[in-house]
Amino acid sequence: MTIRIAIPSQAKVGEIIEIRTLIQHPMETGFRRDEYGRAIPRDILERFSCLYNGEIVFEATLFPAVTANPYLTFCTRATESGTLVFRWTDQRGEVFEETADLEVV
Amino acid sequence: MTNSATITRRQFIVGASAAGIGLSLGVLPRGASAAAGPDEVNAWVRIATDDTVTIRIARSEMGQGTLTGLAQLVAEELECDWNRVTWEFPTPGQNLARERVWKDFSTGGSNGLRGSQQYVREGGAAARIMLIGAAAEAWGVSASECSARDSVITHGPSGRTTTFGKVAVAAARQPVPQNVTLKDPSTWHTAGKPKMRLDTQDKLTGKLVYGADLRFDGMLLASIMDCPVKGGKLVSFDADAIKDMPGVKKVLAVKTSVGTGLGTDGVAVVADTWWRAHSALKALPIEWDFGPNANFSDADVTRLLESGLDADEAFRGNWAGDMDAAFASAEQMVESVYKCPSQSHAPMEPMNATALVTADKCEVWCPTQNGESALAAAAEASGLPIEKCDVHKTLLGGGFGRRGAPDYVHQVVAIAKAFPGTPIKLQWSREEDQKHGFYHPTTMAKLRGSLDADGKLTGLHMRISGQSILAALIPQALVNGADLATFQGVVKPGLSPSMDQHQISYDFPNLLVDHAMRNPPIRPGFWRGVNVNQNAIYLESFMDELAHAAGRDPLEFRLAHMEKNPKGAAVLKAVAERSGWGSEDGKARGLATMYAFGSYVAACAEVRVVDGKLKIDRIVAATDCGTAVNPQQIQAQVEGSFVYGLSAMLYGEITYKDGQVQQDNFHTYPSMRIAEMPLVEAIVMPSGGFFGGVGEPTIAVAAPAVLNALFAATGKRIRSIPLKDADLTA
Amino acid sequence: MSPETPSGQIAPRSAVKRRQVLKGLAGGVAIFAWPTPGLALPEDATRAIQALFGDRPLQEGRVVVELPKLSENGYSVAMAIDVDSPMTENDHVSRIAVFAEENPLPDVVRFELGPRAGRASIKTRIRLGASQRIRAVAQMNDGSLWTSYAFTVVTLAACVVQG
Repeated sequence: MTIRIAIPSQAKVGEIIEIRTLIQHPMETGFRRDEYGRAIPRDILERFSCLYNGEIVFEATLFPAVTANPYLTFCTRATESGTLVFRWTDQRGEVFEETADLEVV
Repeated sequence: MTNSATITRRQFIVGASAAGIGLSLGVLPRGASAAAGPDEVNAWVRIATDDTVTIRIARSEMGQGTLTGLAQLVAEELECDWNRVTWEFPTPGQNLARERVWKDFSTGGSNGLRGSQQYVREGGAAARIMLIGAAAEAWGVSASECSARDSVITHGPSGRTTTFGKVAVAAARQPVPQNVTLKDPSTWHTAGKPKMRLDTQDKLTGKLVYGADLRFDGMLLASIMDCPVKGGKLVSFDADAIKDMPGVKKVLAVKTSVGTGLGTDGVAVVADTWWRAHSALKALPIEWDFGPNANFSDADVTRLLESGLDADEAFRGNWAGDMDAAFASAEQMVESVYKCPSQSHAPMEPMNATALVTADKCEVWCPTQNGESALAAAAEASGLPIEKCDVHKTLLGGGFGRRGAPDYVHQVVAIAKAFPGTPIKLQWSREEDQKHGFYHPTTMAKLRGSLDADGKLTGLHMRISGQSILAALIPQALVNGADLATFQGVVKPGLSPSMDQHQISYDFPNLLVDHAMRNPPIRPGFWRGVNVNQNAIYLESFMDELAHAAGRDPLEFRLAHMEKNPKGAAVLKAVAERSGWGSEDGKARGLATMYAFGSYVAACAEVRVVDGKLKIDRIVAATDCGTAVNPQQIQAQVEGSFVYGLSAMLYGEITYKDGQVQQDNFHTYPSMRIAEMPLVEAIVMPSGGFFGGVGEPTIAVAAPAVLNALFAATGKRIRSIPLKDADLTA
Repeated sequence: MSPETPSGQIAPRSAVKRRQVLKGLAGGVAIFAWPTPGLALPEDATRAIQALFGDRPLQEGRVVVELPKLSENGYSVAMAIDVDSPMTENDHVSRIAVFAEENPLPDVVRFELGPRAGRASIKTRIRLGASQRIRAVAQMNDGSLWTSYAFTVVTLAACVVQG
């Protein structure tokens, strides 16, 4: 599972920063059919959360209409130096996480 | 849109000039100025001061004549002088910039005319009203006293006249009429008539340009090789090994992502000539990872398809009565298994496209069946906003459904990005074209029929087993998993609004048509006639088998189930009568009929077997497409359908070994030769009141008519195509 | 014999309305020619919006949905959503939900955010089953709902069997 996060390493207090995330995942819709015409079961990430020093600052609920390897760009306001946690949860409850540090000056 | 902003054929370079040398234009045509020029009356019509009428054609022209038919429809309502009509393609970029004023560019599904006839006629009518309005205003008379014909506007009471060219500029300022009334086709004088094609003369003189003809100053040429096995990957290549070969500019990996499983992963060589690029590509050491399909072969396809013939699970496409009860009380059961292979489009002109990419613009010139799809591909591949991209359509050296997929546009733009400011022409080799098609889906079918003591058909089960195009290309279009398109030609009436154009010709008391989906790792696609083709072979051959088993005449046997389908019965009777069906002249004849793409078609074939070889002497074919926009073109399309449909029946087969397509050129994937072509007599019998398709439906009846005639000649039932390897000795 | 499967059942037309027959079908530019989208929302999208936001009125505005005008096959379409809001404690977007009017499922994606986001500006990539309107509904902290949409044409393989 590859996760890519793009975030500035440094920001000024109060600055709004843009965060880009991408996670490798098939986001199988459940609409496709296999060799024998059987439905390929749905397999999707359902939830995304971004925590900034433990506080949720942005969340998303994903449906099959989100493409494979979900890409998400959003903003947050730099408040204090610390760690951002990016957390995806799939339909079975499995969690995939990545962190990034942000220095606020 | 002005002249200079429009891609006209004169701005292209003619590759096939008399000297055989491409003349260079020096200036690349720049497209996408969507501004209306002063001579534009409305989006569909430009009229010059010399009364030349230029009609805008949104759909693609690939030999099928749609260009001329659409122009006839506009000209009919416009009331212009047909002898002064010319045409041009607006670009898809212009279409977007003008809020899609020309609507859909997609050219397929036998929809060119029937899908746009209403609004192009309205466009022509609106322009006529505006032209008359401008003349009336200039004369200070009421527009209702004026009329137009042959580009001349006449004021009835005074007899005063003017021409379209004189009032065109003023006409553009007239209010756009709403709710125009269209002429009844029975009053047509330009449409509905066998007008000469608008493109024939320019084709004969070499003036018209195909994608493969394009030449630009400073252009570099590319040849490409995609992984020979579907699902495989490019691992590496040794560019150093060929870098000193003459003319070589660059070797690059070309990976495109075109949706689920449709991406390409290959390598391209760019050089100063195509032959140098291609020679270097052939010499390039390449390492592939063939992936999961490395050992895939034809036997796997057969096994997979056979597994569906009796499978418990299948999607239903048509049903009536109680088939099981009919079978239980049968006096006689007939059962047969049929097979149709994967087939390649094999257009005369292999895939190609030319692109010029700069930092802020991406332009593509290419033959495509869907200019807007090519435009979207250009935008996606270049990463530029779609407003900064455009596509200039050329004529197509064959489409047949293949050129609806813009995979080659993705590729050329990916290559051209590596050469900013330099035009790049990607030309696939014939081998590449054969090996990387979107093949006609392979299927088998098991048919069972029950006859009672009187030889009446009491029950029929048609089990289709095989590949779904939609499952591979458009999975979101499946209906609860079912690909309704697999039932084209045998669909239950009312099953879905879009499928009524392909409903079954017959009324059977007890019926089941179902589909066990089996998807081998072959990329399927839309091949002229699509799923009607094999369904026609299955149903129409089996109807013949049933008739013979019942000891009944195949014509009478069919007609007994066509009481609710009088138009279908009419085309069938027409071919029977013209061909001399039932006469005691010793000729072996076979019939087939179908309702597909909204038209009723039938064919009667006359064949002989001479020294074990099939000789098709004559085909009589009838078409009721409702409204005939150009009867001569319909006749040509019907005749051409037999070249294509019979080629497929005789030779069309794509086979696999070690995951790779075995037929890489015309020597292994032949087309019918002139000497093999039968005399085709086309009966065009439009019954009025609707617009049916023409390009595709007749393909379907070609093979079953001949197969049934072959049975009449030899007593031998061929249930698997192509015929090339069949033993035809009686 | 039992040739039917529960999943393979296709109801005869007489039993159900057209829209239900085609359910799960994404509108299929491919196989079905749809009328030009009117002002009224399709049933499924309406239901999905009501399920999430109740019957509160939707006001046009403040939301901008950006999509390319054309997409080749709808497999991966870049979407940007911006909501005009100061994103302060007292005045911010709390939720944005995106609906596809002609996809097999109307729900596309939902976002929950607040003043910590600083700006209600989101980009992602979505799948479109057919040419359609993509509608975003933004709920503000005062409970008011704002909406807008973008229309995208999904071009598909040409020889498909259009109605």
